[in-house]
Amino acid sequence: MWLLAALARMQPAAESQAEDVSCLRRIASGDQAAAGGLYDRHSRALYSLILRIVGDETEAEDVLQEVFAQAFRQASRYDASRGAVAAWLLMMARSRAIDRLRARRTRIEGGTGEVTLDEMPDAQPNVAAVMLTDEQTRKVRRALGELPLLQRMAIELAYYEGLSHSEIAERLEQPLGTVKTRIRLGLLKLRDTLTEGPA
Amino acid sequence: MSTHDELKANAAGYVLGGLDVQERLAFESHLTQCVECTAEVASLRPIVGALATAVPQVTPRAELRDRVIRSLDSVAAGLQTGPGPDVQTRRDSASMRMSAPAWLALAAAIAIAIGAAAYAMRIQRQMGELQARFDQVQATGAVLAAPDLARIDLQGQPIAPDARARALWSRSRGLVFTAANLPPAPAGKAYQVWVVTAQMPISAGLLTTDTTGGGTRYYYTPPDIAAPVAVAVTLEPAGGVPAPTGERYLLGMP
Repeated sequence: MWLLAALARMQPAAESQAEDVSCLRRIASGDQAAAGGLYDRHSRALYSLILRIVGDETEAEDVLQEVFAQAFRQASRYDASRGAVAAWLLMMARSRAIDRLRARRTRIEGGTGEVTLDEMPDAQPNVAAVMLTDEQTRKVRRALGELPLLQRMAIELAYYEGLSHSEIAERLEQPLGTVKTRIRLGLLKLRDTLTEGPA
Repeated sequence: MSTHDELKANAAGYVLGGLDVQERLAFESHLTQCVECTAEVASLRPIVGALATAVPQVTPRAELRDRVIRSLDSVAAGLQTGPGPDVQTRRDSASMRMSAPAWLALAAAIAIAIGAAAYAMRIQRQMGELQARFDQVQATGAVLAAPDLARIDLQGQPIAPDARARALWSRSRGLVFTAANLPPAPAGKAYQVWVVTAQMPISAGLLTTDTTGGGTRYYYTPPDIAAPVAVAVTLEPAGGVPAPTGERYLLGMP
C-alpha cells in the first residue's frame, strides 16, 4: 500500500519534469506559448519563495516577472543533468530576490558600507539543484520549526535574507564563531531528519 | 593558515551562500583537496532545496499570469532584434577613427562625469543616513499601528529604582522599546534588551541612552517566537552577550 502511495506522489514530479523540459525546448526554439505551462506549474512555489524574501507583494510580482524573463532567455542553457527545472527556477528566484534585497540595503546604506554589490558573496555558489519530495519538504519544514531559535534565525538570515556570516553575527549581536557553529548544527539537524524513517 | 576544523565550519555557510568572498575562495580551493568537506557539502545541498519550498505557499494574483506572459513578448523581441555583430563592428571602427579633438572632448566629458559622480555619491550617502533614520521611524510607526500590539511596562529594579520603560510588541511587526531614567552605562558596558520566552531569554539588541538616561529603539523580533513572559534590561559587556549575565535594571511582565 505504502508503495502505491509513494508512487502516486512521485509520478507527478517526474511527469512535471518531462513537461518542463519540453516547455523549455519549445521556448528555446522560439515558441513563446510554451511559457504558459511553466507558469502554471511553478508560479506559486516561485512567488511564495520570492515573497518570503522580499516581503512585499508588488516587488515579489516584479521579481517573478524577471525570473520568467531570465528563464526565457536562458532556456537553451538549461542542463537537465544538474537538476530539475523546478529547482533551476527556484534557484533563479532566490538569486533575483536576494539581489533585490541587497539593492535595497545598499540604497539604504548609501554606499557608506565597505562592501559593494560586486563583492557580495554569490547568492548561489554553483549549488547543484536538488528537489526533495513533498513529504521530505514537510519533514524539513517541521524540523526547521523545532530547531533552537538562534540556530533557526541564523539559517533564515543566511538563506532568506542573503546575509553573510559576519553580517548575521552583527545582526544577532553574537560572536562570528558561534554563528557559524549554529548554522552548521542547524543544517546537520535538518539533514538528519531526511535520513530518519517516516515521522 | 586556517585549520581544517575552521574550514569545515564554513561548509554550511558555503552551501547557504553566506561566506564572504575571501572565505568562499579559500573554501572552494580547500574543497578540491578535501574529500570530507566535499561530502559534507554534498550532503547539505538537498536541505537548501528544501528551504526554498519550505516557505508558506501563497498563490499570486490571477492577473499576474497575463502580465508575465505578455512581458515575455519584449524579451523575445529583444532576443531576435538585439544588436547583431554587424552593428557592433561598425560602431567599433567608428570609434577607432575618432580624431584628436574628439578624444580631448571625450576626456573632458569623462572628467566632468567623475566630478558629478563624486558629488552624487556624497548626496547619496546623506540620503542613505536620512533613509536609515526614516526606516527606524517607519518601523516604529508600523509597530504602533499594529493590530496585534501588546504593551508591557517595565519597573526599575533595586539597582535603578527610578528607571522606567515600556515595550510595545507586535508579533508581526517587531518591538519598540523606550526607556527613561537609566543611570549612564559605565565604560565598556552597555544596556541589553531581552525578550524572555518560556524557553529562554532572546536578545532584542543593545540600547543606547542619552544624557537623561532615556532611549528609544525599534528591534526586529522573529514572528514565530513563543509569547514573551517578560521583557528585561540588563547591563552587559559592550557589544552584548548571547544570554544575560549582568545585573537586571528593568523588568516587566505582560
